Parts: sequence; structure tokens; C-alpha cells
Amino acid sequence: MFDGMMKTLKMTCKDVYPLISESQDHPLPLCDKTRLKMHLAICGLCEIYNKQLDMICKLAQSLGKEEAKVREDTSMKPEVKEKIKKWIAEKS
Amino acid sequence: MSKEILDPQNWVDLYADMMYRFSLVRVKDPEAADELVQATFFAALKSQHTFAGKSSEKTWLFGILKHKIMDYFRSSKKHISIDPTSNEETDRIQFDSNGHMNPKPISWNMAPEKAAENSELAQILTSCLEGLPEKFRKLFVLKEIEGMSSENICNEFDIKPTNLWVILHRARNQLKLCMESNWLNTK
Repeated sequence: MFDGMMKTLKMTCKDVYPLISESQDHPLPLCDKTRLKMHLAICGLCEIYNKQLDMICKLAQSLGKEEAKVREDTSMKPEVKEKIKKWIAEKS
Repeated sequence: MSKEILDPQNWVDLYADMMYRFSLVRVKDPEAADELVQATFFAALKSQHTFAGKSSEKTWLFGILKHKIMDYFRSSKKHISIDPTSNEETDRIQFDSNGHMNPKPISWNMAPEKAAENSELAQILTSCLEGLPEKFRKLFVLKEIEGMSSENICNEFDIKPTNLWVILHRARNQLKLCMESNWLNTK
């Protein structure tokens, strides 16, 4: 029991770091989740890293939406649009 | 509720730019994005009779576009593995002898839930994505932007789960470092 606790407390950033990324992919097993939480509570740098990955994940999800507010300065070339319009007019 | 109808004559004016940007975020190459939008309109025109009017015209067109994008990714599929000799594929985050992350993460001073609404940060992520090695970019797009499950990605794209994990992990780290330097430079 005591050894187990010591092992948990002694988790280094290097041990925790893969868990942070892994937690973005799927829920961690309870034991890893607890170890991660305990480490994040005492390690400011890993907590920053954890938040950053979380932000990247949330941003990526919002980028995936149909009306994502990105590249708003980019549009399709007018000549390509004209070509498609002409094609549609002919076929419909 | 009235049934939705299709109006192909207005498709280009109403949806082309939106569909083009949607494609560009995913495929990076402007010519490929052009082709995807064209192919979508062509396919839509041919299968107008399958439109049941239950969804909006826009939703229906984007549904076809999403299929075209997946076909595009599938057509470029080859066995994906990690190249240990490639410099651009290594993990950019290392640990120093004291066990600390190197380079040290610098706070972006933002609550994670606010990040998704920040258009400046979204723009930075978009350009950082373009800088990733192609296989990193592709897998990140499928997983995080398309929201595909890891299991489906592994099955469809012939990649081992451990390799997928390593690539996603390194892709996130490259994105993180790229975003950190761009974001902090704007401050």
C-alpha cells in the first residue's frame, strides 16, 4: 500500500507526459487517471501542457465545422466557379 | 414543415466558397480542394433524385463533400509507419536531465473552453497544420477534425494502433510548439 502510494507520488513529468496525450484519445484507466490528476495538481508545467493539448483538441473540433471562421479571406477562383456554373446550367 | 427543394443554379453562389474552405482545412492543396468541390456538385447534380427533402440543401451537399474528402484520403492511402530516420518526424519535446520538459511550456493565458471561440488562435492552428509532415497532418485531420475513432482510422488506413498513437502524439507536440511561438509573438 505504502509502496504503491510512493510510486504514485514519484511520477515524473516524463512518466506523466504520454498519459496527457493519451487522455486526448480515450478515457484513461482509473489508475492512470488518478496518477495524472495527482501529478497535475502539483506540477504547473505539466498542467500548462495539459491545457494546451486540450485547447488544440477543442480548436480542431471547431475547425471541422461547416461554418468555421477560418480562411475567410480565401475563396474559390472566379474562373473555376464560372466553369462549374456553366456545367450546371448545361446539365440541369 | 415544408419540404426542402434543390436549386442547382444557385449552388455555386451560395455554397462554393464555404465548401472550398471546408475542403482546404482538410486537404491543404488548393487544386485538390477545387476538384473536391467540383466533384461534389457533379455528383449532386447526378443524384438529385435521391434528395428526399428531409435535410437542408446545404446539409445534403456537405454530406456528399464529406464522402468525397474521405475518398480523397483513401486514394492516397499507403502503409503508414514511423520513419525513425526522418528528422521532421521526431518528438520535438524532450526532457532534460532533471526530468523537466524541454522546451518548457509557456502558458497561453486562456481558458481551454474559450480557445474554440478564438478566431485568431484558430487561424494559427490552421497555418501550423499546414506545416506538419503530410502523414502527421492527415492522421490529425482524420482524428481531431473529422472526429473519426482511432479504431476506424487504423482499419481504413492500414496503420498499427501504436503507430497511430505515436504519430498523433508527435503531431500534437509539433502543433503545440508552432502555436506557442506564433501565439506569443502576437502578444
